[in-house]
Amino acid sequence: MNEREPVLSVRNLSKTYMQGKIPVHALTDVSFDVKKGEFISIVGPSGSGKSTLLSMMGLLDKPTSGSVFIDGMEVTKAKEGDAPKIRREKIGFVFQRFNLIPTLTALENVDIAMRFARVSKHKRKERSVELLTQMGLEGRMKHKPSELSGGEQQRVAIARAMSNHPAIILADEPTGEVDTKTRDMIVALLKELCEKGQTILVVTHDMDVAEKTSRRITMRDGKIASDTQQ
Amino acid sequence: MFDLILKNIAHRKLRSGLTVFGIALGIFAVIVMGSMSENFNMTFDKSISLTADKIRVLPEGGFVGGGLTESKVREVKRVAGVSDAYGLLQASLDPENLGFGGGNVVIGIPPEKTQITLKDTKLTGGRYLVTGDGYRAVVGSSVAREFKLKVGDDLEIKSKKVQRASSITHTRNFTVVGIMEYTGSFFDSGVIVPLDRAQKFYELGDGVTMILAVPEPNTDPEDLSKRIELNVEKVKTFSPEQLRKQIEQALIIFSLVTISAAVLAAIIGGLSVTNTMLMSVSERTKEFGLMKALGAETKDILFMTVGEAALMGVIGGIIGIAGGAALVYFMNNNFAIILFVITPRLLAIAMSFATLLGVVSGTYPAYRAAKMSPMEALRYE
Repeated sequence: MNEREPVLSVRNLSKTYMQGKIPVHALTDVSFDVKKGEFISIVGPSGSGKSTLLSMMGLLDKPTSGSVFIDGMEVTKAKEGDAPKIRREKIGFVFQRFNLIPTLTALENVDIAMRFARVSKHKRKERSVELLTQMGLEGRMKHKPSELSGGEQQRVAIARAMSNHPAIILADEPTGEVDTKTRDMIVALLKELCEKGQTILVVTHDMDVAEKTSRRITMRDGKIASDTQQ
Repeated sequence: MFDLILKNIAHRKLRSGLTVFGIALGIFAVIVMGSMSENFNMTFDKSISLTADKIRVLPEGGFVGGGLTESKVREVKRVAGVSDAYGLLQASLDPENLGFGGGNVVIGIPPEKTQITLKDTKLTGGRYLVTGDGYRAVVGSSVAREFKLKVGDDLEIKSKKVQRASSITHTRNFTVVGIMEYTGSFFDSGVIVPLDRAQKFYELGDGVTMILAVPEPNTDPEDLSKRIELNVEKVKTFSPEQLRKQIEQALIIFSLVTISAAVLAAIIGGLSVTNTMLMSVSERTKEFGLMKALGAETKDILFMTVGEAALMGVIGGIIGIAGGAALVYFMNNNFAIILFVITPRLLAIAMSFATLLGVVSGTYPAYRAAKMSPMEALRYE
């Protein structure tokens, strides 16, 4: 793919919820592009529409109007049945609460994402070990999430998000549940992944996190208030 | 995916255990009731095949009316198409203590007709009755086991006669001269004695309970059966076909009772699986949402949830069958009469029933899990 072509394009995206009988405009006409290898943060107060935007980009929710393109494909037009395929091939999720499966070990939690992608058992194992080693968790692979610290859990989640070589990693408040030391470690890790060419979009309300990204989009009242390279 | 299913079942040990136990209990009931029904079916089948070539002649008013005597036997014998006819006397071995299924039965047979009645039933010891035998008896396998009889032992037979308000009980010892092999028919609980001695002992004169008529070769038993009814007064006949129909009707009722018990067990077992799976699914709402976000297809989620329920069904089925078989084995070996038979057919039914139970009751929870939107599921606390 051409370096200059965007990995992610958001075009005139709008979302209106009905809260009872009152329409709530969560997103209004949002457009922006994300290039390959960019480390971008979306910030804004709660209710500004940043989480809604993330859901649309991750095919977790349908927009009222507008489109999202990933790798040039208009994913908002994809059929319901194609959504799982797009999710596992194009997108890697990292959540605030880590969302690891409590019954599975660190290794199995990474492995499961590739299972859904029908990767062979041997390749899954190889990739899981490789990723967890990269995250500095080589000694913790057989541990369950309850036996891991918050930072370790989030690193497992990042390894899981990376497993299927996604076009973009969407991280929703990835540092919301950890202390500042762990936060810095996670941000540094994400930054390192970006330098290796991984595109990462972080939604956060933590300005310290946003400052470390190469580009910052600020949302207010469902619209983009500013978009700055830093 | 299968290892994930196993992990989930193993993770919730108590709950999975209770559910599996619920199904096991249901299947246990199916096996016990089913094997009882199978035993009845088999006994009647074997009994019918032993007597299928003969027409039964009974007094018109049923057993209560009485009135069959040796002269009636001769009348039946004279009907065209009847090659042979003989009287049988049936009475309870112990009238004061009737067991399940009617208990053991004393059958008085003219000694020379034993072979034609029992056909090729073999003896495990001793000999058949011969003409001129006195108070001698050939006993069925169940009777021999119940009373621990060997050839040469004495067996006490009781008769009860009601006179006005009181009843008089006579007892008499019959010497066992032969023990029959296991036939799976009602002869297993039979005590075969010479007809004349039975008539004397029960003070019935020359009365008999039933006449068996053997049709001549190439005679249609159905026609002959009607002919006997027309030619001999005050008798009712049962051709082999009629008898079969009558018994089948009784068996249908018995089977219905068994099936109802099994269905009840199924409903209870099924509800427990549904309940467990609903709990398990709502507990894992977030997990399923996450799996969807990771790119799981609806069919992956369905496979995992239905698979979990089906596996619990299979495990419950195996435990239930093992438990039922153990009980049946114990009962058959420790009680006088064989009441249960586990057939391959029954095993197949029980096993597929258990699996189906799991699948059917897992389907709704699985559907709920699969249709959940990943966004809602992830927000769910």
